[in-house]
Amino acid sequence: MDIFMDSLLRRAPGYLPEHLQLVIIPMAIAILISLPAGIIVTRPGYRRYAEKVMALFNTAQTIPPLAVIAIFFPFLGLGYGPAILALTIYALLPIARNTIAAISSVPEDVKEAARGMGMTPKEVLFHVELPLSVPVIMAGIKTSAVLTVSTAVLAALVGGKGMGAVIFAGINFFRPELILAGTIYIGMMAVILERLISLAEYMLVPAHIK
Amino acid sequence: MNFPGFILNNTGLVYEYTLNHIALVVTVLVLSLLLWTAVGLVISRYDRMAEAVIGLGNVVFCIPSISLFGLFMTVPGLGLGRRTATLVLVLYAMMPLVRSVYMGVKSVDPAVIDAGKGMGMTGLQVLFKIQVPMAWPMVFAGIRVAVVLITGIATMATFIGEKNLGRLIHQGITRGNADMIFAGAVIVSIIALLLDHIMGRIQRKIISPGLRFQAGEQ
Amino acid sequence: MIRVDNITKTFPGAERHAVDRVTFNVNEGNICVFAGPSGCGKTTILRMINRLIEPDEGEIFINGENARTMNPATLRRTIGYVIQQIGLLPHRTIEQNVAIVPGLLKWPRDKTRKRVLELLEMVGLDPGEVGRKYPHQLSGGQMQRVGVARAMAADPPIMLMDEPFGAVDPIVRVRLQDEFLHLQQAFKKTICFVTHDINEAIKMGDYLVILNAGRIIQMGTPIEVLTSPADAFVRDLLGDDRGVKILDLTRSGSLMEPANALPESPGRNGCTVQAVQPVKIALEMMMKKNADQVGVCEGETIVGILTWNGIKEHINRVSGDGS
Repeated sequence: MDIFMDSLLRRAPGYLPEHLQLVIIPMAIAILISLPAGIIVTRPGYRRYAEKVMALFNTAQTIPPLAVIAIFFPFLGLGYGPAILALTIYALLPIARNTIAAISSVPEDVKEAARGMGMTPKEVLFHVELPLSVPVIMAGIKTSAVLTVSTAVLAALVGGKGMGAVIFAGINFFRPELILAGTIYIGMMAVILERLISLAEYMLVPAHIK
Repeated sequence: MNFPGFILNNTGLVYEYTLNHIALVVTVLVLSLLLWTAVGLVISRYDRMAEAVIGLGNVVFCIPSISLFGLFMTVPGLGLGRRTATLVLVLYAMMPLVRSVYMGVKSVDPAVIDAGKGMGMTGLQVLFKIQVPMAWPMVFAGIRVAVVLITGIATMATFIGEKNLGRLIHQGITRGNADMIFAGAVIVSIIALLLDHIMGRIQRKIISPGLRFQAGEQ
Repeated sequence: MIRVDNITKTFPGAERHAVDRVTFNVNEGNICVFAGPSGCGKTTILRMINRLIEPDEGEIFINGENARTMNPATLRRTIGYVIQQIGLLPHRTIEQNVAIVPGLLKWPRDKTRKRVLELLEMVGLDPGEVGRKYPHQLSGGQMQRVGVARAMAADPPIMLMDEPFGAVDPIVRVRLQDEFLHLQQAFKKTICFVTHDINEAIKMGDYLVILNAGRIIQMGTPIEVLTSPADAFVRDLLGDDRGVKILDLTRSGSLMEPANALPESPGRNGCTVQAVQPVKIALEMMMKKNADQVGVCEGETIVGILTWNGIKEHINRVSGDGS
């Protein structure tokens, strides 16, 4: 029990800021890339690419997280950089997928009505398509956040530190106390992030489609 | 980069790891389907239980797989190896499978259920003649998510002694051998895509053509 | 055939009774129509007859047997059930859908198959064309027909129909109503029929039960209800064209003056109607030919005369103040 309290209160907390960085930076980059990309792919002229992009993402999702983390390391070496890059790519998939799915599933008659009232394509996007897509896009961001928090554990394997360092130490030395302590922080981080995103969604979504 | 070369030079090892990987995934899949579809069907009839069970599935899903492997291996009677790996992966499959069975059964149009009851179907007849067949499209979506998930997470079992494709990736990292990493990653992806494809075939056989318009045919 | 004795139902959390001390009988071979605004309790009454809802108080007797003492599933297999949403099983073909109740009753396969083909033809569908199709491949009107065929599959003596033609456009609805009345002449089922459309109620019903807020406001044949509405609610429900509706339900023969009492030969210009045709047809004829009377025939023989004044007096008499 002493070892557990020691792990929980003294050893593990030091790795929290690094782990948080391993989540926040990839998430931010992933959102900045996948939102505009999702919007572009769903514009009328590019619609035919949407399906192909989705198929590509579905295939990419079959690459195991361990492999995604490992793939960049031979080129970029050990450290923070390859871990961030790998996590960004992993975080991207659910967000992009949901963005494309959400925007493509806005009912055609609603868009037709908006055009009929004289909205330009840009106005249709900002006043109709995006507001109606927010719940599904946010769901994608949530999935991505939870996934990234737990996948970031693997960053320790390529020298990215984070809470993974604690958990892998626990595995290597057969110390369940270390694993448990690290996992508790990971779980808390996942829950808090999810709550924060829900809060953001609550403020973003128009009241009438809640 | 020459990962095909790596595979050709180490056929014995790659073959052994691939077989082990497939054996683990298929075992987990069979156990999970038996267990979690049954649980999904049961909770579809008891709403209060449903909330707790689905909540538990979500919690398990939030725990990093490596932690689950690590914690369970220290449980007496489980230890390093196949038994712990199987148990953890079955737990991971809980969320997608239980959820999709539950949601599939619950999302059946109430008018169809009303018509079934009105024609004199018993509760079990409504479940097995109406709700289950109509839930198939959603259930299969869940199964296919689970298949891809299990195949990928199975790589992590290498850390508790499983000799599967995860070991190629892990050793590739420790030795700085890119070909080894790629060989592992590519074969895992191929297994995932293959199993997904097989599930798609079975899905087409099982789901009534009358539901195909909503099955999201790919 | 169906005897409903003082039933009451309150749903949990509701302020008032959904159905409040309702009593009525439905005679064998009759269509009894329950009409009223939404929330009046008509659907609840229907669903209590086949025990999809259990009444809090009161009893329901089917053929003299208390419904409470019967097994609900067995009971429902002997009562045809048609709902507005139809509820065809989307994963079964049309033939399989019609064969559901025979299947539940474990009929032999070839008997079921013969029955299914017969039923599809009976409701005006080509079994070869639609039998192997799935519900989503059919039009709304076709699906409603399948719904009726499915309910009649095991030849139940009683049928419950909840807005059975409510989901199709008005033109198809009229055709389905006509075809169903035609079938009913042959089969003489005992039918409880729910609708919010008063015109449909008058057209389909041998007997009307008018409901509001869970209570029966008035019962009677359509002509009884039209000629003497119980209160302002029923009068509103029937609409301002009550008199014209009555003419639609009155046979020309019943308003005519017998031919032998007439000084001159009636039916000039070939202006005649059959005695069994509604007065509305005679009126139409008068307006078209700009005549103030028509001859009334039974077959080829002229038996009487129907005059403009006669019709006017009748409307004044039956709808009170003539408004």
